[in-house]
Amino acid sequence: MSYAFYPGCVSRGGCPELYPSAVKVAGRLGLGLEELTDVGCNGAGVLSRAVSDPINARTFAKAEARGLTQLMTICSTCTGVMGGANLRLKEAPAYRERINREFLAEERLAYQGSVDVKHLLWLLVEDYGLDRLRAEVRRPLKGLRVSPFYGCYIRRPDGILEGKPARKRYLEMVIEALGAEVTDFGGKGKCCGFPVLTANEPNSMAMVAAHTGEAKSKGAECMVTPCPLCHLNLDGGQPRAAKMKGTAIDLPILHLPQLIGLALGFSAEELHLKRHIVPTRQVAEKVSLLT
Amino acid sequence: MELIFKVYRHDPTAGTKPALESYPVSLPDGATVLDGLLQIRDRHDGGLAFRAACGRGFCGECTLRINRSGKLACITRVAQVAKDGEVTVEPVRNITVLKDLVYDVDELLWQKIAWVEPWLRPATAQPDGGYVIPDAELEPIRKAMSCYYCGLCDEGCSVIPFDRRFSGPAALTKAFRVVFDPRDGAARERLKRLGEPRGMWDCVHCYEANEHCPRGIDPTDRIFDLRDKAVELGVKSGTANPQVARHYDSFAASVRQSGWLDEGRLALETWGLGRLGELLPMAWRALRRGKLPVPYLHRKRPGAEWIRRIFDKVEKRS
Repeated sequence: MSYAFYPGCVSRGGCPELYPSAVKVAGRLGLGLEELTDVGCNGAGVLSRAVSDPINARTFAKAEARGLTQLMTICSTCTGVMGGANLRLKEAPAYRERINREFLAEERLAYQGSVDVKHLLWLLVEDYGLDRLRAEVRRPLKGLRVSPFYGCYIRRPDGILEGKPARKRYLEMVIEALGAEVTDFGGKGKCCGFPVLTANEPNSMAMVAAHTGEAKSKGAECMVTPCPLCHLNLDGGQPRAAKMKGTAIDLPILHLPQLIGLALGFSAEELHLKRHIVPTRQVAEKVSLLT
Repeated sequence: MELIFKVYRHDPTAGTKPALESYPVSLPDGATVLDGLLQIRDRHDGGLAFRAACGRGFCGECTLRINRSGKLACITRVAQVAKDGEVTVEPVRNITVLKDLVYDVDELLWQKIAWVEPWLRPATAQPDGGYVIPDAELEPIRKAMSCYYCGLCDEGCSVIPFDRRFSGPAALTKAFRVVFDPRDGAARERLKRLGEPRGMWDCVHCYEANEHCPRGIDPTDRIFDLRDKAVELGVKSGTANPQVARHYDSFAASVRQSGWLDEGRLALETWGLGRLGELLPMAWRALRRGKLPVPYLHRKRPGAEWIRRIFDKVEKRS
């Protein structure tokens, strides 16, 4: 199956290690990706829906124009924002028609409502299959203790789960399929604080300190997230959050494709683990000793 | 059913520490958590304090934490929540407990709702015979009008555990209800107030409120409605947090210009030169790791022109 690939802004901006890692992993797994290069930022929950719904309708129409109905993201926020827009556009044909008429018609585009938005995480479990993923693992991450951190928009609101409540456990399922150990903790489905980094930095940093600190106290050696915005806060904000709390945390935060990539046999260098703010050396060393 | 209820007990006036006390209860199938509490009060301790009224999920009075999750005790069936034969019942988190399961609702809800000025401020004098509003004009706020202030959305809120001052989804839903009321004429002033710290921009839009609301009001979406309205009216922040408006404007300008987000520019334009001293060390850390998004050196995405046109049309329309 071919997927329209929507990499999002951050995977090549604030987290430039994510895009190449995702492309390498997708290539190794044989996911047929066709990157959408001529589409816009989905609004990330910042832009008003008056602007972002038409932009997202245009993205979906672009995928349809290439004969693609499955759109893959590598960001929980992209998934939630585009998924939410897609629900509004699918559930209300009159709304979709108005957006087609007012915004897309002059570009000779129209969204027909056929696209499904899927995060790589969902795609791996639902389309690709964990058995196939296990078969591709060349270096089981035996003994590596990993805490999952989802990002809100891949768990809520209910509509985003499309009647599949198990989506709230997919990260743990993938961690285990890669041979690693899940270090569970209460904050895995909570907010990372990134959305209020601008409006209320103390609250944002307190959330980073709470979640990374809790995972670390439970014994995690690293955390994995399918959301680069969570990564920006949990990794990039961690030194500041630790300072504000007056404690050391030092919990490496891996992007989902990086954790998968390590299990598929890619090196830490190939997955750009050195580009993180919180050093990942100990994780890289532990993994390099595995066979 | 034979069960153990572990109930939060605390009398702040007695100077004792809070504790979970265990009580054996014997309940019929289909019994609710409220049935269990009533039995404990009848059989074990008449001094157990809790709130309840309608007993059928209609008044929002008995909001409690049941097995670590916010629920209405009167419509929560014991059989559905019991774990290993136990049910833990506690007051709402992050709030002053008055006694046992009775907490300060004034602090949880009423002070915050008062802050959003939950009364109409019509632009014109009331017409003779009162306002007549067609049904269709009330439709957008009808669900929000059905809120019965149970506080479950605030109980599940991601922000309040970190900041009790946050106005919270219940009060912001009330704000939505008056801002979008066709009789109200003070949207701009209201949104300015709601834009101040502790207001709508402090919401992390995590959608927990939607999951917790028993009335299907979807408070997170109502907060988005407020924010979208604020953008439409050009009231993008309060006076104490001008960086919020700069963030929106920079984000929108970047996407409008190039089709995608210039993160370096966003940081610079949001925080300005005032925080350059703090931004530089962060920039240096990112530069050393090869991940500094350089501002303004941002290539346009193919088709960016069409994105710009979308912005133009939306602006023209509003």
